[in-house]
Amino acid sequence: MSPTLSALFILLVMVAAYVAAQLIKLSTELSIFVAAVAGALAGGHWLPVRQIAEGAITYLDICLIFLTATLFMNLVREAGGVAFAVRSILKRFHHQKVVLFLLLVILLLIPGALTGAGSVTVLITGSLVAIVLKYMGLPETKVAAIIFLIAGLSAAAPPVSLWAMMTAAGINMPYVGFFLPLLIPCLLASLAVIFILGWKAKPVDLEKALKEIPEPPGKMNWWRIALPFLVFLLLILAGRLFPFSFPVLGLPLIFALAALTAFLASPVKLNIWKVSIETTQQLLPLIGTLTCVGILVQIMTLTGVRGLIAVSVVTLPVAMVIASLFITLPVSEAVLMWGAAPVLGVPLVLLFNTRGFNPVIALAGMSLIWPLGDALPPTAIIGRLTMNVVGVKEPYSKFLKQCLIPGLIIVALGMLMIIFSKQLGFLAVF
Amino acid sequence: MNPTVNWRKWLFGLIFLAVLIPAGLSFYRSRHLAEPVVLGPGVTGVKKLSNYFPGIKGSINDAKIYILGEDSGRGSVLILGGSHPEEPAGRLAAWIIIENAKMKAGRILVIPTANPSASTSTRPGGAYPPDYSIKTPWGEQKFRQGDRWSNPLDQWPDPEVYIHYPSKQQLAYMDVRNQNRTWPGRHDGLMTEKTCYAMTQLIRQEKIDLVIDLHEAELQYPVISTIVVHPKGQDLAALASMTISAEEGFDIGVEYSPEALRGLSHREIGDWTEAIPLLMETPEPFLDATRGKTDQNLLLTGRDEFVRKAGKHGLLFEKLDEKGWPVDLRVGRHLSSIIVILKTWSELRPDRLIEAEEIPRYSEVVGKTTGFYLKDPARAPANRLFFE
Repeated sequence: MSPTLSALFILLVMVAAYVAAQLIKLSTELSIFVAAVAGALAGGHWLPVRQIAEGAITYLDICLIFLTATLFMNLVREAGGVAFAVRSILKRFHHQKVVLFLLLVILLLIPGALTGAGSVTVLITGSLVAIVLKYMGLPETKVAAIIFLIAGLSAAAPPVSLWAMMTAAGINMPYVGFFLPLLIPCLLASLAVIFILGWKAKPVDLEKALKEIPEPPGKMNWWRIALPFLVFLLLILAGRLFPFSFPVLGLPLIFALAALTAFLASPVKLNIWKVSIETTQQLLPLIGTLTCVGILVQIMTLTGVRGLIAVSVVTLPVAMVIASLFITLPVSEAVLMWGAAPVLGVPLVLLFNTRGFNPVIALAGMSLIWPLGDALPPTAIIGRLTMNVVGVKEPYSKFLKQCLIPGLIIVALGMLMIIFSKQLGFLAVF
Repeated sequence: MNPTVNWRKWLFGLIFLAVLIPAGLSFYRSRHLAEPVVLGPGVTGVKKLSNYFPGIKGSINDAKIYILGEDSGRGSVLILGGSHPEEPAGRLAAWIIIENAKMKAGRILVIPTANPSASTSTRPGGAYPPDYSIKTPWGEQKFRQGDRWSNPLDQWPDPEVYIHYPSKQQLAYMDVRNQNRTWPGRHDGLMTEKTCYAMTQLIRQEKIDLVIDLHEAELQYPVISTIVVHPKGQDLAALASMTISAEEGFDIGVEYSPEALRGLSHREIGDWTEAIPLLMETPEPFLDATRGKTDQNLLLTGRDEFVRKAGKHGLLFEKLDEKGWPVDLRVGRHLSSIIVILKTWSELRPDRLIEAEEIPRYSEVVGKTTGFYLKDPARAPANRLFFE
């Protein structure tokens, strides 16, 4: 059998195993694992334990960042920091829709930008922002669409953008120069989302809204909220300003130290053990997915399936590839979640690079589009999570319908970034 | 506890152990695989990097230095294999020089595993084989596959962004473990930086004239089949390149080390020591992202249908046909290039003569294979047998 036929056969076996696992209601991460093992068996490798173990730790650093960053944000929430911030913003700006929307967007962007996970945004600030938006007279499906879309953009926003990080790592490209190419479009798209979907919002009924938002501890203030973020920022800056005298801490430890500060600055005594356990349980499906995606990528590389996909993509006409991104990126995200980045993102960036596009800007553009797939079946984890958090009782299709127009704007923005990546190269400065 | 949940926990626990134990044993064996080096007739001594910088003592990267010839005031060359151990032609070429070369004048210092830590791990997501075997007349010799970066077991965590010393240029965070991004090194830096610092001290203390850093590159990378040289070695590299193309049976280009790209051997060694650094790249399809089945066969034959397809679409910077890029070709290219560079250097600088013999050329390695030149450790006297 030729290498192409062999890899194609293994790919088909993997797809069949994935579909079968989904049909018997296995979780996405286990379905990915089953597909990987089936691929190894079909490739004649039996159970390649070394390769499975090595693949499982591919994203170990990212998992640690994920865990510590989410613990940090959860401690800020448990201390009453998030409720305090939402209430303060609401009290001060409830008559000024534009300022209120702008501040709500920032509140929604921070957790996902720091952790790389849209689900963290939905859980940390999404539920409270949803209360505000509902009291502005917006229907629940619209509120859910706003939270979901901005949560997705927050995951793509810097400093931690898992799609960009995983793709860059797959081609030995430094994760440097992504800050502005990710920040500017994420911010613009988030504002577009909230102003388009919240166009008909009325002034907030302050009294009713405040009744529903939890009361923060009496001693909570802006300093207590800002302190852990300042510690985070200072540690990052210290590493950059004094690189040869300041010890290398690594992002997981920096987030852990910020979490410790949040714990110490809390006006109420926090049960850090309980919050840690809850954080781990909250992240288990996502960490499971990252672990199993690592295994899948390893087995695809071992068997030649990754090479088949890569060479098939890089040899396509580039115009056809770009034109199909609005479908391929969200669908690959829906099936593989972050696995889409190493499996599809790597060959796409290679293609763009060889065709003279700016790989950093092109990858940033792709990172905007990927999160939209989190609303699509079979996974739709973040879409469904948002529905639950907001308390939407209407059918899922109505929520999807609300996402359509702003979703298309995000896709257009991402595709324009890819097409004009060369001209936008000046953004890739740090 | 719910009995079903309990049962499932046990099942998953057992599956985890079933993967963990054999995988752990495999990783342990790879990390501790002893690669024999039989000292050839030219070797006069073996030192370690800690002889030049005690700060590296006790670290896995206290690499061995095999010294051929005597210090008689003539020229000296340092040959580095395994700066990136996943590029095997460099290590194998270094091995062949240690086990075969004789010196007529000057000295050759060889570090076959310049980043020992990187030789002990394989790349997560890369599906590398743990090791590869070279066929010899007396059996097979096994080598560790290795990776591009130092093993995270030896140097972790990575910084949020790697800032190169002393230029302060920002580089990718993982490149703080890349030995070809940490030159000239830092005495109080991380392990990989300390390793480069130790080698910089070696270059200064031993008054090295030339440093030849042996590498391999993916075919989708533009710097391939070439000698990258510091501007102060322009004449040497240009003359050597012409001679190689005319006499050795293959073409090799010359590129000058860009000033803006920091941390690389061909830039920093030239800037911070008296030596002229030259970095050589041979083609290794195993490293290409479009490669097919990833195994030892691909590593050693360099034959791959998918990379060839990419070539047919004009995506490669080096030709690739059905013959591939066998390891013998790649090792032979490195060895012939070294022979010609030393000859050219000796013609340009007769006062710093470096003359070696018994280093096989390209045509000989291609004809007789790499394994032909590896010596049988079973027949070596104990005092002439070392392990990497």
